[in-house]
Amino acid sequence: MEKKILFKYIDDPNQVDIDTYISHGGYKALEKVLKSMQPAQVIDEVKKSGLRGRGGAGFPAGMKWSFIPKDSPKPRYLVCNADESEPGTCKDRVLMERDPHGIVEGMAIAAFAIGSHQAYIYIRGEFVYPARMMEQAIASAYGKGMLGKNIFGSGYDLDMAVHTGGGAYICGEETALLNSLEGERGMSRIRPPFPAIEGLYACPTVVNNVETLASVPLIINNGAEWYASMGTEKSKGSKIFSLSGHVKRPGNYELEMGTPLSYLINDLGGGMLDGYQLKAIIPGGSSTPFLLPNQIDTPLDYESIAAAGSMLGSGAVIVIGDKTCMVWVIDRLIHFYKHESCGKCTPCREGTGWLLQLISRIEHGEGKPGDLEKIDSICDNIFGRTICPLGDAAVMPIQSALKLFRDEFQYHIDHKKCLVKSEFEFK
Amino acid sequence: MADGGNNITLTIDGREITVPKGTTVLEAAKKMGIEIPTFCWHPKLKPVGACRICYVEIEKMPKLQVSCATECMPGMVVHTDTEKVKQGRKAILEFILINHPLDCPTCDKGGECDLQDNTFAHGIDDSRFDFNKYRFIKDRKSTFDDVRLGPEIIRNQNRCILCYKCVRANKEIFGEYDLGVFQRGNLTEIDAAPGQQVDSLYSGNLPEICPVGALTNTDWRYKVRVWKAQQVKSICGYCADGCNLTLWKRRDKIFRSSSRRNDEIDEGWICDIGRYGYQIANAENRLTTPLIKKGNKQVTSTWDEAIGLIARKFKEIKDKKGGVCIGGMISPTLDLASLYAFSKYFRTVLHSNNVDFRNDYKMLAEKYGDTFGKMASLEFKIADIEKSDLILVIGSNLIKEHPIVNLRVRKTVTKFGASLYTLNPFATKSGDISTDEIIFNAGTLEALINGICVSLISQKLNASDVDVSNFGSMANPNTVSSASKITGISEERINALAMALGKAKNITLIVGEYIKASPLRELLSIALNNLTIIAGINKKGQIGFLYKSANSKGAEKLGVIPYPSPNLIGKMKEIWKYYPDSNGLAADRMIRAAKKEEMDAMFVIGANPIWAYPDGQFAKDGIEKLDFLVVADLFESETTEKADVVLPLSSWAEYAGDFINLEGRLQHFSAAIKPQNGSLPAFDIIGRITVEMDKPIFESVEQLNNEIKLLLAVLPEKAAQSLKLGEVKYSEEKISPDFSIPLFVTDDLHHYGHHTKEAKSLAAFGSEPYAEISPAMAEKLQLENTEMLRIESEVGKIILPVRISEILDNNVVVISRNFATTPVNILQMRKKRIDRVKLSKVED
Ligand SMILES: Cc1cc2nc3c(=O)[nH]c(=O)nc-3n(C[C@H](O)[C@H](O)[C@H](O)COP(=O)(O)O)c2cc1C
Ligand code: SF4
Ligand code: SF4
Ligand code: SF4
Ligand code: FES
Repeated sequence: MEKKILFKYIDDPNQVDIDTYISHGGYKALEKVLKSMQPAQVIDEVKKSGLRGRGGAGFPAGMKWSFIPKDSPKPRYLVCNADESEPGTCKDRVLMERDPHGIVEGMAIAAFAIGSHQAYIYIRGEFVYPARMMEQAIASAYGKGMLGKNIFGSGYDLDMAVHTGGGAYICGEETALLNSLEGERGMSRIRPPFPAIEGLYACPTVVNNVETLASVPLIINNGAEWYASMGTEKSKGSKIFSLSGHVKRPGNYELEMGTPLSYLINDLGGGMLDGYQLKAIIPGGSSTPFLLPNQIDTPLDYESIAAAGSMLGSGAVIVIGDKTCMVWVIDRLIHFYKHESCGKCTPCREGTGWLLQLISRIEHGEGKPGDLEKIDSICDNIFGRTICPLGDAAVMPIQSALKLFRDEFQYHIDHKKCLVKSEFEFK
Repeated sequence: MADGGNNITLTIDGREITVPKGTTVLEAAKKMGIEIPTFCWHPKLKPVGACRICYVEIEKMPKLQVSCATECMPGMVVHTDTEKVKQGRKAILEFILINHPLDCPTCDKGGECDLQDNTFAHGIDDSRFDFNKYRFIKDRKSTFDDVRLGPEIIRNQNRCILCYKCVRANKEIFGEYDLGVFQRGNLTEIDAAPGQQVDSLYSGNLPEICPVGALTNTDWRYKVRVWKAQQVKSICGYCADGCNLTLWKRRDKIFRSSSRRNDEIDEGWICDIGRYGYQIANAENRLTTPLIKKGNKQVTSTWDEAIGLIARKFKEIKDKKGGVCIGGMISPTLDLASLYAFSKYFRTVLHSNNVDFRNDYKMLAEKYGDTFGKMASLEFKIADIEKSDLILVIGSNLIKEHPIVNLRVRKTVTKFGASLYTLNPFATKSGDISTDEIIFNAGTLEALINGICVSLISQKLNASDVDVSNFGSMANPNTVSSASKITGISEERINALAMALGKAKNITLIVGEYIKASPLRELLSIALNNLTIIAGINKKGQIGFLYKSANSKGAEKLGVIPYPSPNLIGKMKEIWKYYPDSNGLAADRMIRAAKKEEMDAMFVIGANPIWAYPDGQFAKDGIEKLDFLVVADLFESETTEKADVVLPLSSWAEYAGDFINLEGRLQHFSAAIKPQNGSLPAFDIIGRITVEMDKPIFESVEQLNNEIKLLLAVLPEKAAQSLKLGEVKYSEEKISPDFSIPLFVTDDLHHYGHHTKEAKSLAAFGSEPYAEISPAMAEKLQLENTEMLRIESEVGKIILPVRISEILDNNVVVISRNFATTPVNILQMRKKRIDRVKLSKVED
């Protein structure tokens, strides 16, 4: 069901204003944490809430924070990942534009919990307006003494800064993000060491998604039990889903975890556009495998979507209608991933290029017999063999399409025309 | 570090192995002799796991793992040769090859290319790829895809396998940012940073570590196929670091020099001077025959005629006036045998102690036993720098003086977290990694050191067993505040450095040319001796008054100076059954004697005092007064011009011999080629002269080597460092307001001494003189880059194009001396501790 907790004040144009935010109970959670809690208690509370990372991997947030070594003499950093580049995803942007203080407050609490005195929010380069909103929010929080020295008289100091990227998808991957933040080229690093041990400037670092951090003040204010009472056994709370594609009412919807996909698409999204039948659904951003129409009742939570053969990912639900050629879809996607491959590791760098060449010749009716087998084998040679998950992300939709819609590809090769858009003939 | 708790046992291919914690699976496998292919792995770089060719299977891990970046864990079971592994590696090779041009027949890496070798081993081809290969072409009109990234470096992006070794080494090891990665995905390119060239002192390492033919250098390109070249073990003949080299030759010509990794010294890196400096051997304008001055002209002659004349003249002068009227200067870049033969010839045949290898230092000591000499003979090991948590560099432009020591310092700082403090009169390249880069007013170093000493004492951080109660009366200045005023360094910084010294557990102190070349060398040495005692550096770390040239340390150990240690003299007497009683003259004294017409003849080998001596007019005046001057060198020089006899000398690549590096490490080098152009090695020339004089001093090189061994076995005087505090009183220099700007004369970054300008590749980095000043100074003088600057001292004037420095930030001018057209030493005066000049713009 729709559950507006992050989105409670999303339609209030004054929510960006710090006074309005405070009048809605804002910065109470930070005050509570600083005045009455130990960092370990904060981490415990977040652990108990069951909050999982909203950036894609769904890693438990409290657990991630607890990996920061207690005895390291180095400074620690908190980084909020606002690179939001996964095609189909647009939830963080709304939070930044309309409720920036929720993010600032969440970041401050997380920073306190891990003993950090410097937090950064890394925002993708194209997000000029959201970056401005975040900058304004941070400045007004400083103005009210909610950032800076001795916050709420607690003796705790925290500085926070906005850093905008140059506009590369890979910079959303946490280690590439850290490189970029350091002024290096945005390229992924091998793990281990994980950022919790050696992150920004080789110091212990936590990287969390915007939505993850924005959920933290709600948990502190209302308690872990309250948060954990929503959702399913392994997926607690609420999550924002970015609905797009051939539906009547695309947009961001906040749902309780475990709400059926059909509720999102049909009830909130108004169903398919007139004249379209449902063909496939991408449930968690462009890198997740397709679901078929018969899976439309799958509950939107990590474990159910996984059981259905895909991933909840960032929660970007892309609905594909029956007039869409899957070869064309895959051609668009591989174009994106090829373009965004950082170039560091061989399989992703060379493999995505080769895949694009093969898929686009199939799309253009120039495919050759054996091309599909070649694509299968190239995908196998990329999947699980790269430095960062971008390689996997690039091949998962291809593998899924070749499994579910292989006939469309074969048809392109055999007949030099499209099975779906039969009116379209290749030259 | 391999103690019980820190060891890990794992199984690789069914065999158990125990390795220290932190070892990677690749390293462990290598230890067991198991071959795993690699492209992006490099023993001295942090792993990046980029190429993915080094896959292995590890039980309980579903995915293939890259062995180069996977740490061994207890109980790990690794398989390096399963079908899955083979398939994974094959797939990687296939990916790499799809866009690779496979132009092996015209690629310079052919025969030593990792890609060629791995492809050969795995029998892979690129035939599943049926598209046109992607080509990186900058200039579509050109048929080649080559782009020049720097004076020596050429890039062919099509061959690049993006292992990133070049960029990684450049940043991690050399601290350079002139090479970068551009674009993304399979269009990723390696290129020079915008507006920059790849021209650092270490640039030649980049083609060497490139596993394929993507980076090549002009030096070696298209000249020889590698399998047709023979490798010769050599040692670099330039600076005192003593890098181990391989010279690659075919027939009687050398084609390149590469590193022969020695982890004690160079760790597999060499500087460009060592890499391209061999080119002097095959340079075009080598001297080809002996020349004899007839009238006012030097005319060609034969070796017999020249040797005959030298023997006759030296004998005549010795018989008539005594050997004390003959002086000898020899270059410390010559081998032990030559240095020794020179000393033996002067001492036993000419009966003269006038021998010296230090021909570019002001005002040398006139007797044995100075503090400087003692400090300079202390033990120093390059590898031990890594043990230090604090490195203190005083009076050294480290990258220029000791390129490889510089890298070890960088490593210790950037990899192991040591702190670095540099104390110099102007900014140097080390500033980027210094905890504090202290730039003091030129000519006030002893005041600064006194300040640090008193700060240590007042913070009670001085070594506990030293009596410092009198220090106040021995030192001037003797307060931090007065030291601060004199030196221009704030009290906080002096105190902070003292605190760091006091707290450090292991200190490396490096002392450079600024002190050694100073006429106040002794005072500065006493000040430094005080510092090492008070800070206890003598007990926690090492002190390096680093010698400068390839064999300076050898020359010192063999006593090629007028005042060797009593122990050495004793040994010489024992070997030779003779030792002259006369007082010897150091290099600068010889010139003075010549000027006063108290010296008649001089024998100069490999040195160029008229160019090098830091008082050009003085050197010229002196040398011109000589009745008889013999100069042996590779090329014509400012000094050969004045000679009565000029002899063509061989470079170190043309004979076998030994050098002793700054650590005191004896290293043998083989002859790569025969003596070129009718030249002879110095020991051979000396041998012929002695035979001609009927006083042969050796029958064979073995004999020389045996005698050298005996001398080298002589231990330096025990407890070389003086453990007594000495008096250090700073006296203010009178600075004429007209000539107030300190002048520093150094070697150009890519040059060393007076020979390297003849090496084509080094000349490509720089062959024109220039004067470096700070941006602020340039603005004050309203000068743009390359505009002309007039530099005047009390004694001379030169005009040079200006170079606005990226590093300098105080009022000094730095001039390189390596280019024939800049007689910068005419601005210098031998008695001045700091040469000072005035600067003005040349209006056109
Ligand atoms: C190619 C790639 C792109 C990513 N892009 C983003 C992104 O835009 N925003 C984000 O929050 N996480 C992104 N991630 C996930 C991050 O690496 C990281 O897991 C996440 O920021 C952790 O935050 P969380 O635990 O709060 O989800 C990306 C991962 C990959 C592999
Ligand atoms: S998988 Fe792709 S994006 Fe990730 S490191 Fe490798 S090349 Fe870069
Ligand atoms: S140029 Fe050579 S060293 Fe540099 S990345 Fe390419 S292959 Fe590697
Ligand atoms: S000049 Fe010095 S640092 Fe350079 S290669 Fe020779 S010995 Fe090594
Ligand atoms: S050698 Fe291991 S990934 Fe390149």
